[in-house]
Amino acid sequence: MSTAMNFGSKSFKPRAPDKGSFPLDHFGECKAFKEQFMKCLRDNSFDNSMCRLQSKEYLECRMDHQLMTKEPLEKLGFKDLMDPPPSQANRDTKP
Amino acid sequence: MLLHFLVRQSLCCPQVLLTRCVRTLRCDAARTLDSQAEHFLRRRLPPPPRFHPQSRGIKSRNRKSQSQEEEWKTRNKTVLTYIAAAGVGMIGLSYAAVPLYRLYCQASGLGGMAVAGHDTDQVETMKPVKERVIKVTFNADRHASMQWNFKPQQTEINVVPGETALAFYRAKNPTDQPIIGISTYNVVPFEAGQYFNKIQCFCFEEQRLNPHEEVDMPVFFYIDPEFDEDPRMARVDTITLSYTFFEAKEGQKLPLPGYSYN
Repeated sequence: MSTAMNFGSKSFKPRAPDKGSFPLDHFGECKAFKEQFMKCLRDNSFDNSMCRLQSKEYLECRMDHQLMTKEPLEKLGFKDLMDPPPSQANRDTKP
Repeated sequence: MLLHFLVRQSLCCPQVLLTRCVRTLRCDAARTLDSQAEHFLRRRLPPPPRFHPQSRGIKSRNRKSQSQEEEWKTRNKTVLTYIAAAGVGMIGLSYAAVPLYRLYCQASGLGGMAVAGHDTDQVETMKPVKERVIKVTFNADRHASMQWNFKPQQTEINVVPGETALAFYRAKNPTDQPIIGISTYNVVPFEAGQYFNKIQCFCFEEQRLNPHEEVDMPVFFYIDPEFDEDPRMARVDTITLSYTFFEAKEGQKLPLPGYSYN
């Protein structure tokens, strides 16, 4: 597999994640957000572009519960979702 | 007495030899004569041990073979020096091969490594390539002795390069003991692996699950937008991400992959 020892064969080199490892969510604090995300995926035939908002919310939940280091969401690639602040305030009240 | 022997020799030798013998007799090269005589004698007859000119012949033979031996000695020495130098050179080359090979791999991009280290700040600035939809399928494996139940929560996700995506795996510890797992991942096709960047996941660090506990494990990743520009990736539409869990002993940590400059 990735240990083929012949020179010139493409082999896979695993790389460490950029920001390290997620701490485990032992208490299921963000399970609700995850369920929302999974539901969105199933509804949209597993298209990630349609469910970016839910993934952003899940990550925000993680940050709130100390399950992820706090970082500005632009750094996580959500710049396009940050644009209209007033409409975002409306979305924050979603359970 | 020598002459007598010579004459007898020449009687069995052809005419040319006889004249040669006579000519050399006429010259003042007594040594050459002796050595030549010895040469003939050795070829035709076994030399009698107590024969008088033989002692003179031995000296000349010794002198000639001595110079020959010396020549051989110096030649041997040169050859040995060359061989020793080649041996030392080979050993040095094998030590030098490690950084050289590394440089070569970086330059040529062989071995699936990114040609240059990818930029973590690019997450902020990258633009999604909306035309190219790639299906990422998920696979979950565990080592035979690992007792967790481990499976992905979605079979596939359609992403575009340049867009961050989230995916979930689920792990459950059905036993009555806490089990610590540690995982690694794999991406096929291998060449696409260099464009598959994980921002955060659950691999390479110990994850502890208490008895009968079930957790969701997210993977936050993106595909480098340069994926679209690579001609080798033109026909790649599906990428498979595969995680494998192993059981870890307490305090064990997998070394982070990559060379020390990573």
